[in-house]
Amino acid sequence: MSRRAGALAAAVLVAALGAVRGAGAAEVSKPLQGLLPTETSCVKCHAELDGEWGEPTKHTGEDVHFGRALSCHNCHGGDPTAGFDGDSTLAHSRAKGWTGKPARKDIPAFCARCHADPEFMKRFDPHTRVDQLSEYLTSGHGRRLKTGDDKVAVCVDCHGAHGIRKVSDPQSAVHPTRLADTCARCHADKSLMFSYGLPSEPPEDYRRSVHARALYDNGDLSAPTCNDCHGSHGAAPPGVQNVSAVCGSCHTREASLFRETEAKRRIDLSDCSQCMVCHSNHAVLKPTDDMVGVGPRSTCTTCHSEGDAQYAAADTMAKSLAGVQARLAEARDLLDGAGRAGVEVGPDRFALQAAQDHVVEARVLVHSFDLERFQAATAEGQKVADAGLEAGHRAFDELHFRRNGMWLFLVVVVAVMIALGLKARELSRRDPA
Amino acid sequence: MGVGALVDLGRHKRVPLHRHTLWYYMGGMTLFLFGIQVATGILLLLYYRPSADQAFESVQFIVTKVQFGWLVRSMHSWSANLLIFVMFAHLASVFFMKAYRRPREVTWLTGVALMGLMMAFGFSGYLLPWNKLAFFATQVGTEVAGAVPVVGPFIMRLLRGGEQVTGGTLTRFYGFHVAVLPALTTVVLGVHLLLVQKHGMSEPPSVIEARRRSGVPAKSMAFLPHFAIRDAIGWCAAMAILAGLAAIFPWELGEKADPFAPAPAGIRPEWYFCWMFQALKILPGHILGIEGELIGIFAIGLLAALVLLVPFIDRTPGPGDLRSRLINIAALAVLAIAGVLTVLAYMPAAGGPS
Repeated sequence: MSRRAGALAAAVLVAALGAVRGAGAAEVSKPLQGLLPTETSCVKCHAELDGEWGEPTKHTGEDVHFGRALSCHNCHGGDPTAGFDGDSTLAHSRAKGWTGKPARKDIPAFCARCHADPEFMKRFDPHTRVDQLSEYLTSGHGRRLKTGDDKVAVCVDCHGAHGIRKVSDPQSAVHPTRLADTCARCHADKSLMFSYGLPSEPPEDYRRSVHARALYDNGDLSAPTCNDCHGSHGAAPPGVQNVSAVCGSCHTREASLFRETEAKRRIDLSDCSQCMVCHSNHAVLKPTDDMVGVGPRSTCTTCHSEGDAQYAAADTMAKSLAGVQARLAEARDLLDGAGRAGVEVGPDRFALQAAQDHVVEARVLVHSFDLERFQAATAEGQKVADAGLEAGHRAFDELHFRRNGMWLFLVVVVAVMIALGLKARELSRRDPA
Repeated sequence: MGVGALVDLGRHKRVPLHRHTLWYYMGGMTLFLFGIQVATGILLLLYYRPSADQAFESVQFIVTKVQFGWLVRSMHSWSANLLIFVMFAHLASVFFMKAYRRPREVTWLTGVALMGLMMAFGFSGYLLPWNKLAFFATQVGTEVAGAVPVVGPFIMRLLRGGEQVTGGTLTRFYGFHVAVLPALTTVVLGVHLLLVQKHGMSEPPSVIEARRRSGVPAKSMAFLPHFAIRDAIGWCAAMAILAGLAAIFPWELGEKADPFAPAPAGIRPEWYFCWMFQALKILPGHILGIEGELIGIFAIGLLAALVLLVPFIDRTPGPGDLRSRLINIAALAVLAIAGVLTVLAYMPAAGGPS
């Protein structure tokens, strides 16, 4: 499409939006007099029709609009109180604003007649958003729609046309647990994505990610799905400069440490993608300690090679982290062993948790690329782990003391029992029953 | 000072000698273990703090910081269990040797009352460390008490100090454990021991009958020093067992109770309550239109009443009486059922707590 044709199509779309908006939410939302939303002539007649004409009436029970006393005519116009005698022309009256089925290119504006009208929307929910259309128009989908490409996603592709559920409804196609599948309907379609020059792997990559595992396996609805990074209605890939801002909206500490670094400034100047360099984007796997260092699974070696100072720093970081982890594991094993043997080590186990906190702190500090700060955290962890180890040894000393004491006591008791037994026998001999 | 009179009493007191003499040591052993409970309990009192936010920590302090605190706490817990076991053995021996018969009816009644008191000590003491398992077991235990018709809800509130098991329940149980129950036990135990001294040791009817047939004269030994010295050997053995258990299997403290946490798997009361717990658990929801739990509680209550009143049910002297034999058979059946139910309570596959 040439630039001129694109501009023309955009002008048509904007004009159409204006025209449809001109109809206004107020005009299409007149309440019905004495009729329930499911008792209109639209529902009564269409329920008797087969195929796509009858289908919408099967979903009135689950539709959020019907639940709010809105019915077919609130979107499609017409006269819902006429045509009960079978004369559909009375109901499908253009004079009464009947519009029929909107064209795909008109759907965003069609829905926006109400959803972009704050006056109208606040009747139903004072907190509801009304910026969906303006966001949509900034999205990859919206921008392409403006150019006349009606294959891109419009409202109904994600939310459905009829039987639209609230986002918080677990059966909604845009509920966090189902959203990735909804996006994947198009974004995993190889030929469709190929035609736009986009990869089709992201949905599959996401399913392997630590975020998806948290969402699907742990049921953690705060775990991110597609829209948490890309936006919902303004869906667009974050630009390279914004990756750390996107990840940092949840991983705040890591992001703030990273923003202060020289590495960030260098990355900004290169074509590297910040967080993605080490963590990938859609396939963000659970980070492991061997990502730091110079080993075969290290991500540091992606940019740094033997001989440079950062390579040596990465090696030192990995070694300090491994050192404190090993000491921590040793202390934990020792305390567990003492605990199993019956020595109360609850307070020592609790104290050892602080070492784990220092390890976590050190892992976070990796994002500062500051060896000194990192080593301060691991040194603190090492100190606590050493104390735990000492407590474990003390617990085993205590255990040995108890066991030895018990044997000594048993020897004394058995000796007393033997003495008493001998005395009893002597007494019995002297004074038989 | 009157010590001479006491020694004289001991020298004159005779203990019959026959093939069942061993069972006479059970009473003394129970008393010895009770003494250990009193001594270790007083030591624990020095550090224990009876409040929801300090109880667990204070027991943790006792077993980790106090010199030999672990030993005192473990001995208290193990000795409590051993005491119940030996007391059951004492009760069973008295029962099967028919020692409850005239003139020892009141001795039996005080003995059964002491058993109830010891079980109450166990129930109240179980909660005191304020750990997770004890918290939920107490919740279940007091719920059972609450299911008793008419007075149940009142008893439950009395025990809990409210509608739920809370820090208030802990303080209350502490009060029962260290004040109410010891006071009652002192009185009942005093009467029990006095009656034992007054009536002397009972001989089983079968032994009397055998002696009558054979014409062999009765044998006995003086309580002091013969029986007492043998008693002391038994007490030494008990001390050795307690020391071994405390050193090799110290009583676990577990995790601190959290009233807002979900109930953990494996909630069960102390082993001596398990047969009742399991019986109530496996009973169907309704039997002939009546709540199964109610029938269970009624049956347990009836059993306790029968045990208490057995001296007034079985009054015929002699070993061969049909009623007496039937009572023995019924008692054995009850013991077998209680044993099976206890085992079931410890088996997750059979419906016990996992």
